[in-house]
Parts: sequence; structure tokens; C-alpha cells
Amino acid sequence: MKVSYFETARYRAPRQLPAQWPVPPAAYDRDAGTQSYHGMVERMQFVEKLGFDWISVSEHHYSPQRLTPNPVVSAAYLAGYAQNIKIAVLGPIVSQSNPVQVAEELAMLDNMLPGRLVVGMLRGITGEYLTYGLNPAEARERTSEAMELVLKAWTEPQPFGWQGRHFRFRTVAVWPRPRQQPHPPTYALGTSRESCEFAARHHLGLGVSYAPFGVIAKATRFYRDACAQCGWQPAPEHVIYRANILIGETDAEAEALLDEQRRARQAFPLRAQVRDALLELDIRNVAGEARTPNVGGVLPTNFVGSPDTIVEQIKCCREQSGVGVIDLMFQIPGSADLGFLMRSLELFGTKVLPRIRDV
Amino acid sequence: MRVLQKGLIVTQAGDAFREGHVDADGFRIRYMEAGQGPPFVHLHGAGGLRLTRGHDLLSRQFRVIAFEMPGFGASPENDRSRDMPELAATMATATDALGLDQFNLMGTSFGGKTALWLALLQPDRVQALVLEAPAAIRPHGSRPPAGSPEEMARRLFAHPERLAPMPLPDPAVQARQARLTARLRGPDRDADLEGRLPGLVVPTLVLFGTVDRVIPPEMGHFYKELMPNCHLVFVYDAGHAISTDRPEAFVEVVADFIERREAFVISRTDTVIHP
Repeated sequence: MKVSYFETARYRAPRQLPAQWPVPPAAYDRDAGTQSYHGMVERMQFVEKLGFDWISVSEHHYSPQRLTPNPVVSAAYLAGYAQNIKIAVLGPIVSQSNPVQVAEELAMLDNMLPGRLVVGMLRGITGEYLTYGLNPAEARERTSEAMELVLKAWTEPQPFGWQGRHFRFRTVAVWPRPRQQPHPPTYALGTSRESCEFAARHHLGLGVSYAPFGVIAKATRFYRDACAQCGWQPAPEHVIYRANILIGETDAEAEALLDEQRRARQAFPLRAQVRDALLELDIRNVAGEARTPNVGGVLPTNFVGSPDTIVEQIKCCREQSGVGVIDLMFQIPGSADLGFLMRSLELFGTKVLPRIRDV
Repeated sequence: MRVLQKGLIVTQAGDAFREGHVDADGFRIRYMEAGQGPPFVHLHGAGGLRLTRGHDLLSRQFRVIAFEMPGFGASPENDRSRDMPELAATMATATDALGLDQFNLMGTSFGGKTALWLALLQPDRVQALVLEAPAAIRPHGSRPPAGSPEEMARRLFAHPERLAPMPLPDPAVQARQARLTARLRGPDRDADLEGRLPGLVVPTLVLFGTVDRVIPPEMGHFYKELMPNCHLVFVYDAGHAISTDRPEAFVEVVADFIERREAFVISRTDTVIHP
């Protein structure tokens, strides 16, 4: 099992923030912001020493909880300080990006980090559609087309034009080309039938997140079947699982933390009317079965307990769903206690990591 | 035109086209014609002439002449054209007989190779060349689509289930056409043709659907590498029959290229939302 640390730039607001979405930018504290970015480097260097395989960054907008609207900027910043750790950009929200620009920026990173860039592309969680005014009904189709165009831009040897449904370019000729050939290890992120089939068709990995092991297993099974139909068999490393983790010295300590988290209210809720309208428009599925999108809800924590318990949970996760890389969010974002975060990382790095290598 | 219940009128692809015949090299060649404007000649693929919505859309801007090449459709078996250059020469003679001095030329799949040869034989007459999923450069061992109508549809179209049912082909016609195309299609990599392409300066647009299951779209770059004035465009989510799968997308880029040639790379999209 490989392990990735999910870094979100931990912004510690010096004052209580208004409980609404979007949070007015006037509430931003510049010093806290700079500190949160410097902290990214400190934590990356820490997990690198502990032996984590990857550090991952993601794209989230208008959020004090995840101060990373551009994952490529995060990755480029970290790349300047990274020694051996791989940097996983999981990933650009391609449904609302310019796919050619995404291809260019990631190709730059791939050359800056020879052999150490990992890429995931995704549709984005429902609330993100409000950022750049994306019509939720178009998100699925735009994602598939954008991912295909990024792959084409990386691999096509001659300049070409793209006559798409949602994207049109008369000239695409990306410089630099990716250093890893044919392109960096790339994952379609999502549990939907479309993500699984796209990944299978293009020989990509699959990245799933947060859902319980049983739900994840449904998607990974569907993905493996789709790969078989396309004539290939994915390796364990082709499946990433991003999950929340709460690790304590003892099970009791971790469970107490979980209770505390459950009691905490939702930090920045959308207005009910907006949330309900989004839910109506955003059609989602797991391996073809309809599911309700998560719009501002609290995400479950699926690894909870002492190091011994977590090792067993990771084994169980691997057995049930064939996951080969776990991408871990330690302690929910927005939590003010960074000391506890570092202790959790150390505990995991010293007491869990060495015991799950052969899982 | 079909009139359905409740007075709903549905036009079928090619309704506006009228039939004509022209004599060339001893063949009586059928063609379908519609529209006004710059002449636009089309040479079909190995399956013969089938008018699509793409033809209809093109005929709004061009005088479209879609030939049925000798040996295809209801025409008698063609055992006289010895090779592709000879068939191309016959088609050039047919355009002459129609009084076309210069014209835009489009070839689809098998007809893409015919069109390339025509342009090589008479480059001064071809103003712009469009190759729709051309079959002139093929991966080693590639086979033309064959089998039941369902199997053929799966090879030709990105989403056959979304298309209206098409008339079943006449097996005798199919067999005649298959014999002819097998004889004329030439080797997968045609050294004679490829050796001449660097000298062909006609502005050329090569299109491939991203889900072409007959000729892999990866073949597109060979044309670009060999031809000095070639533009390659991928039509997203289209199969081998691009103009059937995504006619609007296909015609938009083809018409833009015919109109502006190399300058079609400059965007004219208006992005002002409100003045």
C-alpha cells in the first residue's frame, strides 16, 4: 500500500469567520494566509522524512478551509522544496477549466519534477460550479471532453484543432511536452460510471473518495470490469482512495475526537434554496446507480482509531476494494490545532506506515 | 419529405438534392446536387454515396456536387478502373464535363484517397481539399468494415443507437462495391502516394473523429507530417462517419476552412455578453 498526505494549506483564522458561503473576502487575514502557505512546505518536508510516498493537493474555491484555488500553483510551490516525494495534483476541476491550459501547466510541472508528478482530473464537487458560473447540467459532459482533450494535447505529435461540443480550438501544440511518456500517471477522479469507463478506455487509474469501503468497492469493481472489457488489468496502484483519518494513541482517544467532530456544526453552509436547486440539477451516480450529491455536507471519516486499528482498517479497505494508494486527510480542515495534526502525522508515519507497506 | 401525423413535416437528409448524370471515360456517372455558391465536390467512401445532414448543411453555403463513383450504387460493375489514380482521373474528367474549372474537393475515407490522387493529378483545379477520415494511410493489416448491418454500424458510428434506422444495403451492390474497393484501395502504406504528398501545396484539412473504429485517429499526424499545407482537426465524440455523427460540428469547421483556408485558425467568435 502506498500512502499520500493530502495538504490543503491550513488557514487558521484569528477571528471567528461568518458562517455562510461564500465567506466575504474582507474577513481574510493576510498574515494567517502567508503562514498557512509556509506551513504547506513544513508539513511536506515532515511527511517526506516520515516516508510518505506522495503529497497531494487539490482545487477548491472561495474557501477558508481549503486555501488552494489553483492546485498547480500549490504543486509548483512545493516542487521547489521537495526532495524525493511525488506530488499528486488531485486535481484540476477540468469541467470549468481551459483544458489546453491545464495540459500546459501540468506538462510544465512534469518537467520540473522529473518522474514525480501524478495527475488526477475531476468534475468537481457540486458547490464548485458556483465559482466560475458553470451550468451544473453540463458538468458531466464537459469533464469527459476536457479530460480527452488534455490527453490528446499531451500525446499528439503534430499541431491539431479540436472540434468539440464544449471546447473548440483551431490550433493546439503544447510545449513543453510531458516528460513522463506518454504522459504522467493520470487518474480519472470519481465513482461514476462515466469516470470508470473513461479511465478504462484510456488506461488511466481511478481515484475515489470519502465514501465507505462498500461503496468504493462497487465503483472499483465496475472500473476493473470496464478495464477487462478494454483488454487490460489495472494494478493496485491504479486505484487511489482519498479518505479522512483520525488517529489517536488509543481507540478511545480517536473515538472521542470523532464525537467532537460530529458535534461541530457545518462551517460555511450554502443557503438552503441554493443547495436544493443544485441538488436538483447535479445528477450523480456510483457505478451507474443514482446517488445524492454532497452539497456542503460533512464527509465521513473512515479510518478512526489507534495505530493497530488503523492498520486493520487499511487491510480491510484493500481487501474490499483493491485500493493501492490511500490519500489521507488528517484531521478535518479548518481545525485550529496544528500541533495535533503534526502529532497525528508522526504517529501514522512511525506506527502505521511501516506496517502497511506489504498490505 | 415525409408528412407525419398532426401535420408535422420532417425533411430527410438530402431532400433538397436533385439527381444528374454525366459521362466520363465511358462511364455514366450519377451525382446529386444542391445549393449555390462556390463549387464543392464530394467523393464518397467505400460504402457508396449516402446523403447526410452534413450535405444539407454544406449546401446552404456551397454548390454541392456529390458523385457516385463508377462501380458504386446502382451503376454497373466497374472492372475498368485499374487503380486509384485512374479512378481519380475519371472523376477529374467528370468535373470537367460539368464545366467546373476550379472547385473545392472533399473525399471521405476510401474517397479521401481518390481525392488526394485527383489533387495530385490536377492541383491547379483544386482550391481546397478536405479529407474526412481518409483511408489513404492505414495501420498495417487494417480491414475495411464488414459484417451485419449492426456490426457495420458499430464500426462506422460513435453512437449507432442514437441514429435513425437506415435503409438496408442491397447485398449484390455491397458485393460489387467490396470487390472494387478491395482492388483499388492499395497498400496500407502507399509509397507512391506518400512520396508525392510533400509536393502537394493545396490547402488541406484532415478530419478524424476521436472514436473512429475504422481508421485510428492517430493516423492523422502522418498527413500533417507529409503535406506542406495541412491542418489536422479532431472532431470529438465522432466515429468514422464524422458528418453523420456530428454534422453541425463537421460542417462548421469545413465551411470555415473552405472560406478562409489557412486563416481559419483565427477566431471570429464574439465573446461580448452585453454591450
